[in-house]
Amino acid sequence: MLSILRPQLLKTTRRFGGRWIHSCAPLLNSSVHRINTQSEVYKYSKEGPLHVKFTNEHEWLAVFGDNTAFIGITSYASEALGDATYIELPELGARYERGDLIGSVESVKSASEIYTPVTGEVIYVNKNLELKPQIINEDPMGAGWIAQIKLEDVKELEADELMSETDYESSLQDLEDSH
Amino acid sequence: MSSRAAQRLYSTAVKLARTPLYESHVRLGGKMVPYAGFDMPVLYKDQSHIDSHNWVRSKVGLFDVSHMLQHNVSGKDSVEFLQKITPIDLNSLPIGSFSLSVLLNEQGGVIDDCIITKHGDYEYYIVTNAGCRDKDVEFIKKEAANFGDVSHSTFESTLLAIQGPKAAELLQKFTNEDLSKIYFGQAKYLKLSPFGDSPIHLARSGYTGEDGFELSIPSSSEVETKASILFFDSLIEENPDLVKPIGLAARDSLRLEAGMCLYGHELAEDITPVQASLSWLIPKSRRTPETATFNGASTILSQLKDKTLLKTRRIGLASKGPAPRDHNKIFNVDGEEIGYVTSGSPSPTLGGNVAQAYINKKAKIGELVKLEVRNKLRDATITKLPFVASNLYKP
Repeated sequence: MLSILRPQLLKTTRRFGGRWIHSCAPLLNSSVHRINTQSEVYKYSKEGPLHVKFTNEHEWLAVFGDNTAFIGITSYASEALGDATYIELPELGARYERGDLIGSVESVKSASEIYTPVTGEVIYVNKNLELKPQIINEDPMGAGWIAQIKLEDVKELEADELMSETDYESSLQDLEDSH
Repeated sequence: MSSRAAQRLYSTAVKLARTPLYESHVRLGGKMVPYAGFDMPVLYKDQSHIDSHNWVRSKVGLFDVSHMLQHNVSGKDSVEFLQKITPIDLNSLPIGSFSLSVLLNEQGGVIDDCIITKHGDYEYYIVTNAGCRDKDVEFIKKEAANFGDVSHSTFESTLLAIQGPKAAELLQKFTNEDLSKIYFGQAKYLKLSPFGDSPIHLARSGYTGEDGFELSIPSSSEVETKASILFFDSLIEENPDLVKPIGLAARDSLRLEAGMCLYGHELAEDITPVQASLSWLIPKSRRTPETATFNGASTILSQLKDKTLLKTRRIGLASKGPAPRDHNKIFNVDGEEIGYVTSGSPSPTLGGNVAQAYINKKAKIGELVKLEVRNKLRDATITKLPFVASNLYKP
């Protein structure tokens, strides 16, 4: 659970018993987890995305009628990570399998890895993030998109682990409650 | 999206200790996290990590470090005792001064780092790390048992670090003592107006590379605790443009830029101070067979004498792109593994990334190396420490 909130350094912490971790991520009210309608992601199609899905690793996926999907990190994740200092993007033109590591979002204290929930070729990457990683804090569900993927198998979208906005937000509520 | 070491660090069942300032942190919007058994603020609301970091470099940050353990050591044998468990030379340390030192095990490895302050020939005040509390106390008690007249006790108080270039200007308002006459490395008991006649221990000290003070404010009674809370709260409330509370996140990035060691990262029980590039902690006066009475002296003296015994040194790394992190491997341009990172992060002061690492001594400052982050090799440059020059108040 809440794996993004754990910096990758914790093996030593355990051994030496003294290092901080991020926790107590912000409790977000609903309506935060919508694609920004003013962003190029939303405007990729006149009607906006067909549907938006979420993973329990705090990625979002905005799926369009041409069987492509934009991927990014959720507002909750962006807030919990704090100031992004570097974003590693997937390789343009590369094919990734569902579950592959495609990049990372780093803050001063931690590096969080991004895994694709769908298989396909990366047809666009958001080069703006290389110059201005803070876009991922300012507009994580819009201008802060990470990559666009051409879907190989749309059936993957029906996987149980891809959640609706409502289910994702209730999973966040559960996380908060367990703190 | 997930972090590499996906393991739960602390069970929520663990009962965390609280410092005297706990309620203030919560009220100020501190994100509280478990740290060394304490519930501690890592960041405060409305400040990002980078904001907090930069604030301390330009103004004044308040750090609650009450989780650290304070000790008093006294008695006629205290010098002999302390010079056995650490390599410090107490005879050349002036009264009213402190020095960084290390608690040494029999192999010369570092049990913990510590600050030792001399208040009299047989009166010492010591601060050790929170994360090493239990093992430090066990070690000190065991060692002290071999000495006749040594009294050792530990105590809790409000330990407040006031750090930043404007720290003296701020604190001077509360005392008749002329703070411009107290330099980095000096300490004394003095009166601060909010605490009446109660003596407050003030050290011109810190862990950020900036000028500043560490105050030990007695907090054993409810009245004392209230006074320390009021002082902390009012410093922030009355000086909103100058003073902010700062959490553990910025504390770590500030010390990293300043080239300072963090126990458990740069320092460990299987690393001697010589290996940690801290040979200056063993003064010349303690390197003779007669004076080297500290634990692990034979190992440490031979490392000092024969540098070929040391294969690696603690050094800096600078890079762009993804930040180096603890345990990342370092390779030379020929692909040979030559070291590993002990701490690393983006540098809010400098831009780019900075890291401390143990690297083969043959690698020179300025040399290009490869850093393995997420299975890819990235460029980095060996750099001298510190990354950010210290801004300490010295004569």
